Amino acid sequence: MDTRRRTFLKVLGGAAGAGIASQPLFRAFADPPVASDEFFVLIHASGGWDVTLSLDPRNERRGIIEPGSTDTIDTAPIRLWRDAPLDADSSTFEILRPSGSSLRFGPAIGALAEMPDRLTVINGLAMNTVSHPDGTFFAATGRHLAGGKPVAASIDTMLANEFGRESLLPTVSVGYPSTYVGDDLDARVSPLRVSSVDTLSKMLNRGNVNTTAADRLAVTAMLTEEARDLAARSWYRDEIEGFGLQLQALPRMLSPDVQSIFNATSLAAAQPTFFPTPAKRFQARAGVNCAFAVEAMKRNLVRCVSFSTASHDTHSNNYRSQPLIQQELFDTIAALVRALDAAPHPTRTGRRLADHTHIMVVSDFCRTPQINLTLGRDHYPNGSALVISPKFVGNTSFGRADDDQMLPANAGTFADGARAVAPPDLLATFVSAFGVNPRKYLRDGDVIRSLLRA
Amino acid sequence: MKTTLQRASIAALVFTLGCNSTPAPATNPPVTTPPVDAGAVVTRPPEVTPTPVTEIPGHEVLAQDRAPKEPPRLMPAETLIRSYISLFGGLSPQALQVRLRGATSDNLFDTWGDYLSALGVPDYAVDIPRAPQTNALMLAAFERIGVALCERAVLNDLRGAVATNDRVLFRFELPAGGRALTDEEFGARFDVLHRRILGYPAALAPESRIPRFRALYQGAVTRHADAGARSFNGPEAGWASVCEGLVRHPEFHLY
Repeated sequence: MDTRRRTFLKVLGGAAGAGIASQPLFRAFADPPVASDEFFVLIHASGGWDVTLSLDPRNERRGIIEPGSTDTIDTAPIRLWRDAPLDADSSTFEILRPSGSSLRFGPAIGALAEMPDRLTVINGLAMNTVSHPDGTFFAATGRHLAGGKPVAASIDTMLANEFGRESLLPTVSVGYPSTYVGDDLDARVSPLRVSSVDTLSKMLNRGNVNTTAADRLAVTAMLTEEARDLAARSWYRDEIEGFGLQLQALPRMLSPDVQSIFNATSLAAAQPTFFPTPAKRFQARAGVNCAFAVEAMKRNLVRCVSFSTASHDTHSNNYRSQPLIQQELFDTIAALVRALDAAPHPTRTGRRLADHTHIMVVSDFCRTPQINLTLGRDHYPNGSALVISPKFVGNTSFGRADDDQMLPANAGTFADGARAVAPPDLLATFVSAFGVNPRKYLRDGDVIRSLLRA
Repeated sequence: MKTTLQRASIAALVFTLGCNSTPAPATNPPVTTPPVDAGAVVTRPPEVTPTPVTEIPGHEVLAQDRAPKEPPRLMPAETLIRSYISLFGGLSPQALQVRLRGATSDNLFDTWGDYLSALGVPDYAVDIPRAPQTNALMLAAFERIGVALCERAVLNDLRGAVATNDRVLFRFELPAGGRALTDEEFGARFDVLHRRILGYPAALAPESRIPRFRALYQGAVTRHADAGARSFNGPEAGWASVCEGLVRHPEFHLY
């Protein structure tokens, strides 16, 4: 008998049966323990963000750079916008320098400006593409598309494969470019891709007009007995035993406690800071996803939550809203950090979720330094990323884009020589922070040791 | 790649050869080997008389191995959805969706698209493979869909005035006046559903199956004895539970 396979199936059922990893069934059948106290939130700022307004601020006309100004931007809703002279009839913004920090931000950074010690900024990311799909998957997998197809596992799948095999939900991917490609991936960690958290709510929702929960529980109990008997009569019993264990788990899955994390109304009650009044204009869904992440991680139900945000793709006059789109996103991320600070870790007594939760935010690429004829910005093969993790050195910026053209500049000497930092380097550094050999998943990329805490 | 039949044939051949190569019983005359001597004429040993397999101790009854040689596999989600569609009216997916959602706000069904991910449908555009095994969320989706299918079938067949042969699923008559079913009456009607959904007579299933479903039916009847006007009455709830038990059964999802 293949013991790994048998163990896997029992864990599958056990995980379901437990719902929470603390149950004896889960522990009894679990694979050898891995460092599974860590949680991950991966965010893709879809559409390509304009980093000149936030992570890599530019407020001077220099080379081909045309900074954001009152001519092109609605500045009223941007809380941290402070006018700085640009020309006779327009103003640009003052660059923010948080006290005690060497970091510099544009006004769209929002509430994240209040927590520079938590932030690791990577600028001058060599995206080498101006195609949305290519940039999206390059940022998530470290590989460009080949023939339009992803050729590597995405970062959430990598992390779930290492740390989430025993979770009830290894990865919940809400529109994130999650891929499941590779030979060494556990079948359990295939991302659960959904269009919204509400989709899961629909699967767990039940009507009570014609029949009742008691009727459904009776059916489930009867089927559990059927599965047990069928397994006893079978030569290959693992699959049916797994089926039976999962049936046993169903009442737990359908309990109000678990259902509430998939319901926007319940999430709003549990995490009101993600649901401000008036509602966010662009990033309301990001708030739902972050609230879900916190509540699911508090219950130890999920290892990775990955999601994409509202689009930052502003080619024309809609560029006027670009800083607001970003401000709402960064405000949401700041709220996420604070919620994690306030949440207890589900398995480590006395620890906060924030001590073991790691956030990475990337985008397809950034936007052109020039303003185009329709007052927007187009695609540009540079990029920035943001990491908020206790494993990373905070209050740090790595890499840079040049002063005249905003193209990625040399960030240091890598194994293949001096060059700009690229998404594979970021991904390799991220997974290595948790003791994972990057070469298990990534063909390219060097670990940037200086970004990691000792 | 060898088929299962080919593998079985090779295994049977090896098995047969193995049995036939068993040493002959001691009753046969001993074989004497002449001394080998260069130039001498070597005589052929006496021929071994074949022994019927059944005369070999321990082989009086030769069992036939009918055990499946592969573990049960999960039914592909597309096949599952096609089965739902076929069993519950043979409509188009869209038409069945409309029927399942119904006109009332009883929250029985959403859209097929809401369940595809949970059912394990692959998304090759982003290399999400087919789900190879069941998981807890998938079983939750099975329940959600099973409840919708069965309750709509009850509403259509048992509550509506539909002729027996025109019914979607419950093609049998219920006793007039709500009289309780005897075990035989239940068994006959259960067999109709069992054949329709699991594809073989209930009598061929493990012996515990009919009593188990009978108890499930009776429990629902008891719980719904004083149901309100909108909720199912006893027999309706009982048959809905039986139907749900069959469309969520391990034999329906694994093959």
